[in-house]
Amino acid sequence: MKMLKPVLVVLTGYLLLKFGIPFIGSQLHPGTWPVVPTSVMKMYMFFLIVGTLMIYSFSEEGYAAVIQPAVNLYVDPARGTARMAVILAVGALGAYVTYQYVKPTFDAPVELRSIHPAPPSSVKACVKTYQLQGLKNPFREDKASFAKHVEEGGVVYFQNCYFCHGDRMLGKGPYYDGFNPLPANFVDVGTIAQLTESFVFWRIATGGPGLPSEGTPWVSAMPVWHELLTEEQVWKVIMFLYDYTGHSPRVTAPVHH
Amino acid sequence: MTRAAGRALAAALIVALAAGQAMAAQGNAQNGKKVYERKCWWCHGKSGEADGPGAAFMIPPPRDFSLGVYKYKTSGAESPVPRDEDLFSIITNGMPGTSMPSWKEVLNEQERWDLVSYIKALTDMFEEGKNPPAIAIGERISSSPESIEKGKKLFVEAKCVECHGQAGRGDTMKKLKEDGGARVWPRNLWKPWTFRGGVEAENIFARISNGIPNTPMPAHAADKTGCGKLSVEDRWHVVNYVMSLADPDRQVKEGATVVPGAQVDALPKDENDPAWDEIPSAAFRLVPQIIQKERFFIPANDLIVVKVAFTADKVAFLLLVDDRTKSIVGDSTAEGLAWDELKPDAVAIQTPATVPESSEKPYFGHGDGSHPVTMMYWASGAAGQPDTSKLLTASGAGARTEGDAGAAGFASHASYHEGTWKIMMTRKLTTPNKDKETQFEIGRFIPIAFANWDGSNGEGGSKHTMTTWYWLLLKPATGSEVALYPALVFALLVGGQFAFSIIGRRKKR
Repeated sequence: MKMLKPVLVVLTGYLLLKFGIPFIGSQLHPGTWPVVPTSVMKMYMFFLIVGTLMIYSFSEEGYAAVIQPAVNLYVDPARGTARMAVILAVGALGAYVTYQYVKPTFDAPVELRSIHPAPPSSVKACVKTYQLQGLKNPFREDKASFAKHVEEGGVVYFQNCYFCHGDRMLGKGPYYDGFNPLPANFVDVGTIAQLTESFVFWRIATGGPGLPSEGTPWVSAMPVWHELLTEEQVWKVIMFLYDYTGHSPRVTAPVHH
Repeated sequence: MTRAAGRALAAALIVALAAGQAMAAQGNAQNGKKVYERKCWWCHGKSGEADGPGAAFMIPPPRDFSLGVYKYKTSGAESPVPRDEDLFSIITNGMPGTSMPSWKEVLNEQERWDLVSYIKALTDMFEEGKNPPAIAIGERISSSPESIEKGKKLFVEAKCVECHGQAGRGDTMKKLKEDGGARVWPRNLWKPWTFRGGVEAENIFARISNGIPNTPMPAHAADKTGCGKLSVEDRWHVVNYVMSLADPDRQVKEGATVVPGAQVDALPKDENDPAWDEIPSAAFRLVPQIIQKERFFIPANDLIVVKVAFTADKVAFLLLVDDRTKSIVGDSTAEGLAWDELKPDAVAIQTPATVPESSEKPYFGHGDGSHPVTMMYWASGAAGQPDTSKLLTASGAGARTEGDAGAAGFASHASYHEGTWKIMMTRKLTTPNKDKETQFEIGRFIPIAFANWDGSNGEGGSKHTMTTWYWLLLKPATGSEVALYPALVFALLVGGQFAFSIIGRRKKR
């Protein structure tokens, strides 16, 4: 039973990696369960097993204690059945691992995509060119008509945008699942909440085809809205997006030269 | 389940139901109004008359609360209005296949009950403080081959087939509309996940019993005389038959993006060849073209199923589209069923003219100036004429040229049967026009997209349904190394251990 100790050490290490690390992660970032990737797991386990064996077989005595039970299994005449089982199991394990390596895989190519690519300095929509730096929503100033502008933006939204981005702004409109990438979720803190209104204006005005190549413009189903909406409609729908979700647009600090 | 556990569960259910009733009573119409004016009016209108700004862009249209007529209710025939729980359930779960989403992630339970109270107050159809009893459902007859068989017979006898079709795929014999005049297509029963009012047996039972008020779906619950209608028992048989029709091949598998092409010795001879049954399929969501002018908002078809087979030099595509009508221009039956001007049904397969080396693909809607796409197009045609097919190259919407179908070995063959179009297109893997037409390479991931036009739904030109880019993979047959290497490793390991064991035992002696 001298094998018990190293086996327990390895088992404890495995459990720590498998559940301990994700647990720590879940405490740091509630709602997540960040598992250790399989490839990293394999590497850690390799070092753990080799290291444990080295430590426990360091002395002559320890070496014998670790190795002897295994050697006995192979040479003890009384343990023929167990021996056969172990031999076949080791062979089968080897065959299985080899199969995992040589079997053909048909996983679709991974496509990486930048969610918020760097905006250009200016945007051309129809005949007009907009300098994005310092571009402001013209309706923000008019506090008295705020509710009216928001509602007008809502009308634009429900006649144009909701089909993909949805009634709830969760990016789950009636047709959301037919597109890839999925429509943006405006409620999520990762979208409009961290963008300036000028960035949002750019994304709406030039749509998917206006993305730089790191944003994979060839798959985005976002229409080129300046062909379908007026400039005013775009600014109003932006007002509506922020009002409905309760987010505030990100404001760039004024640059002093 | 043990009796004690059963009792505990029953008790828990009663408590939950009682809590539900209490919530209904507690629903505060004033609070509900506030929620309504923030979330609901955009479609249902400020006074609940289904005239919100979004209403004109959706079929089915939003409910008009001022009428108090509801399609999905579990109260009996004697009650014109639904139960509070029906309204709560629709707000909570939404209605699949329509614009009504599930609100349970956004509104808490109290807010949803408040809404129930408010929308009840928008009409005088509801009696204050009264909740009608649930319809009698008798004893649920569990599904069995005998029950399904009975249900199938009743499905014909009760004339369900006139609208839902012989096979139940909604290929109606009549042009149907809602009381308000909106277009309505009978449900395709092979796709229960599109049932608006729920997929549970009890939901379907209520549907058959009550019909769908405001639509041509009649109530089938037998009245006191039991004349001409379905008894409780019969309705359960029909429920079992309807539930048996569900076809998982017609459901999109989450995360599935690859059409797996299968290598065969000879291509299936046509679209109805049983050889297709052996080929794996992939199903993709069809969405309306809402991206470019003229945008299209009211699709009828929602899914395309694709199978691909190939040999050393040819490839065959089988496209299945559930379409409620066979649209042949000039055909009197088809003309009678059409909304808007009848156009032919059509499908297209799109692939990049040049398979991209990097991740950069042509724009998914007809390609673009520097990245043309190849399209294999088929249309059902007009009465007295054969169907048509074309090989096209496009570089942007509207910029199309026709290719040499003969040189590419391009041909198509199609037939319509009980609510489903089956279209087979074949082509050579390689063509002489290498710059403008896709060269299909075995073992390579090739972007692929699909489009469909439902001619009886007014679809033509830019008005159609489509998919985004997916992948086509002509899967090469697996080589012998897949079996050989594991076998070698096995032999080596087993042999080695035997040798070790034999040597060890000799030494010991």
